[in-house]
Amino acid sequence: MADAIQKKLKAEVEKYAQMQKDVSKNMSARQKLETQLTENNIVKEELDLLDSSNTIYKLIGPVLVKQDLDEAKATVAKRLEYINGEVQRYETLLKDMEKKSEQHRELLTVLQQELQKAQGLTPGKL
Amino acid sequence: MTEGGKMNLERLGGVARLRQEHEKVVKDCESRIQHWKKVSGDYEALSDRLQTLPDQLSYDIMVPFGPLAFMPGKLVHTNEVTVLLGDNWFAKCAAKQAQKLVDHRMKHVRKELDDLSKTMKMFAAKVGFASDLETLSASKEAYVDIREEVGNNESAVTKGKQRKAHKPNSKPKSDVVFDLKEEDEEESEDGGSRKGILTEEELWTRLDELEKLEELQDEQDRLCDYADMNGENSSSSSSEEEKETDVAPPVNGPSLKPSWRAAPPSGQPLSQRKEDEYDEEEGDCSPTIFFSHTVEPKKVRINTGKNTMLKFSERKEQKEHSKRKKKNGQSNGHAHHELHKITTPADIYRLFVDVKNGELVPRKSILKSRSRENSVCSDTSESSAADFEERRMVARSFSHDDTTHSDTSDGITEEDSPTAVPLLASSRFEAFSGTVIEKDPMPLAVPHLTIVPPALPTILERKQEEVVPDVAPPQQAPKRVSKFKAARLQQK
Repeated sequence: MADAIQKKLKAEVEKYAQMQKDVSKNMSARQKLETQLTENNIVKEELDLLDSSNTIYKLIGPVLVKQDLDEAKATVAKRLEYINGEVQRYETLLKDMEKKSEQHRELLTVLQQELQKAQGLTPGKL
Repeated sequence: MTEGGKMNLERLGGVARLRQEHEKVVKDCESRIQHWKKVSGDYEALSDRLQTLPDQLSYDIMVPFGPLAFMPGKLVHTNEVTVLLGDNWFAKCAAKQAQKLVDHRMKHVRKELDDLSKTMKMFAAKVGFASDLETLSASKEAYVDIREEVGNNESAVTKGKQRKAHKPNSKPKSDVVFDLKEEDEEESEDGGSRKGILTEEELWTRLDELEKLEELQDEQDRLCDYADMNGENSSSSSSEEEKETDVAPPVNGPSLKPSWRAAPPSGQPLSQRKEDEYDEEEGDCSPTIFFSHTVEPKKVRINTGKNTMLKFSERKEQKEHSKRKKKNGQSNGHAHHELHKITTPADIYRLFVDVKNGELVPRKSILKSRSRENSVCSDTSESSAADFEERRMVARSFSHDDTTHSDTSDGITEEDSPTAVPLLASSRFEAFSGTVIEKDPMPLAVPHLTIVPPALPTILERKQEEVVPDVAPPQQAPKRVSKFKAARLQQK
C-alpha cells in the first residue's frame, strides 16, 4: 500500500515539476515580451522624433530594407499591439498555471501525509 | 523546550532563506544598476562624439580590420549616422537628430536607474528586517513582548469615573444656617464681604440662599414701605408688637432674613427716623418729603393703587403669621428651625400658614388675595376675639419694621382709632399721586424727636450703611428701644 502511494506520489511530483517548468518558461517568455514591449515603445517614440527627410530601414536577415516612415510607424504600432496581446495572453496563462500548480501542491501534501501514515502503520503492523 | 528549539531552528532556517533571497534580489539590482550606469556612460560618450562629429567634413581614422589589424582610412559624411532604433529598425539621420535620440534614450536609462535603485533600497530594508528577525528568533532573551492586559468588565462598562449626582441643596441645612449667620455678621460688618473661597457646592447653595434672601428682602422692603405709609395705624397695637419684637429678633435676624439686619434695617430705620421727625414737624414744616427710602423702585408702586397695597399687606400678614405661629407655639427653636427650611419652594408654602383658631393651616396658595378670604389672618392668640376684625386690619398694615420700631405709640397715629384705620389708609393713598411721601408715624419718632438733628434729611441721601453708625448712638439714648433693636444696634 505504501509502495502504491509512493509511486503515485512520485508521478504527481513529476507532474508538478513539469508544471513548474512550464510556469517558469511562461514567465521567461513573458519577460521577453516585456523587454520587447519596452524596446518597441522606445522605437515608436524615436520614430516620432524623426521626420520625413530621414530614411528608415528594417533589417531583414542580412539586408537593410528601406521603409517609409509612416509605414514603419504603422508596423511598429501593430507590433506593439501584438506584443500587448501576447503579454495579456501570457498573463492569463500564468494565472491559470499558478492555480493548477497550487491545486497540485495540495494534492501532493495530501499524498505525502498518506504516505507518512502508511509508513507509520507498516512498522506497527510488522 | 526541545520542540520549541526545533521550531525555532526551522523558523530560523526560513528566515535565513528569506534573507538570502532578499540579498540575492539586492545583488541583482546592484548588478543591473551597474549595467545601466555603464549604458548611460556610453550614451554620454556617444552624445559627446555626436556633438563634435559634424564639426569637420572628414576625419582621418584607423579603421579596425579584423581583431588584429587596423588600417588607415577616412571618415566622411560626418553628419550622417544610421541609428539602430531597436527591434531591427534603423534610421538614417543627421548628427543633431541622433543626439536627440540619444537624449531620449538617456531619459529612459535614467528612469530605469531610478526604479532599480528604489527596488534595491526596498529589498535592502527587507534584508535588514530579515536579519533582525533572525537575531530575534536566535536570541529570544534579548527581546521582551510588550503586552497590555485588556481591562476587566468593570472598567470597560464605566467609562472614566463614576458620576455622582450633585444636588445643590444636598448639603446639610445646618451648614446653610451657619453660612447665613456668618454672612449676616459679615454683612453687618462691611456690607457684604464674602468668604474668600467657596467650593462649588457651597457656592450654589449660597447662591440659592442669596436668591431667597433677595426675595425676602424685596418683600420686606415692600412691607416696610407699606408700613411707612400706614405705620400710623400700627401704633394701636404697639403693646402687641412689643411682645412680638421680643420674639422676632432671633427668628428674623440670623435665619430667615439674614440680610435684614444688614441692609434694610440700616436704611429703613434711618428713613423712618427721619420720617418721624417730619411727622413731628409736619405741622409747621413742609408736609412733603421726597425721598426714596430704599434703593428699590418697587416701593413707588405701592402708592399707585390699593390692590398692590393689599398685596403687600398680605405678605405682611404672612409674616405676622409666621411670627405669631412661633409665639403661639412658644417654641422659638421650632419656629427657628422651620424658617430655616426655606431651601425649597415647598418650604415657602410652609412658611405662609394661616392661623385658624389658633391652629396652623397651610395655605393652598400664597398668591391668592388674603383679604378676600374670611379666614383668620392675624393672631388669635394675642388679641381677644372682640377686636379681631380690627386687628386684622392692623395686622395688614404691620410691616416687619413696624413691629420692630413701633414699640412706642406715635402721637399722630394715636389719634386714629383702630376702627378708622382702613379708611385712613385708603384716604392717604388716594391723596398721594405721583410722589412718595413717607410720613412714618414711627414710634421712635417720639423719643428721637429731640435727639435727631434737623439736618438728617441730607444724611438720607448718603449711603445707608454710612449713616447708620452716626444715628445709632442717639437711638440708643432713649430707653424705649425694643430688644430687637437693641440687639441690632449692638451688632452694628
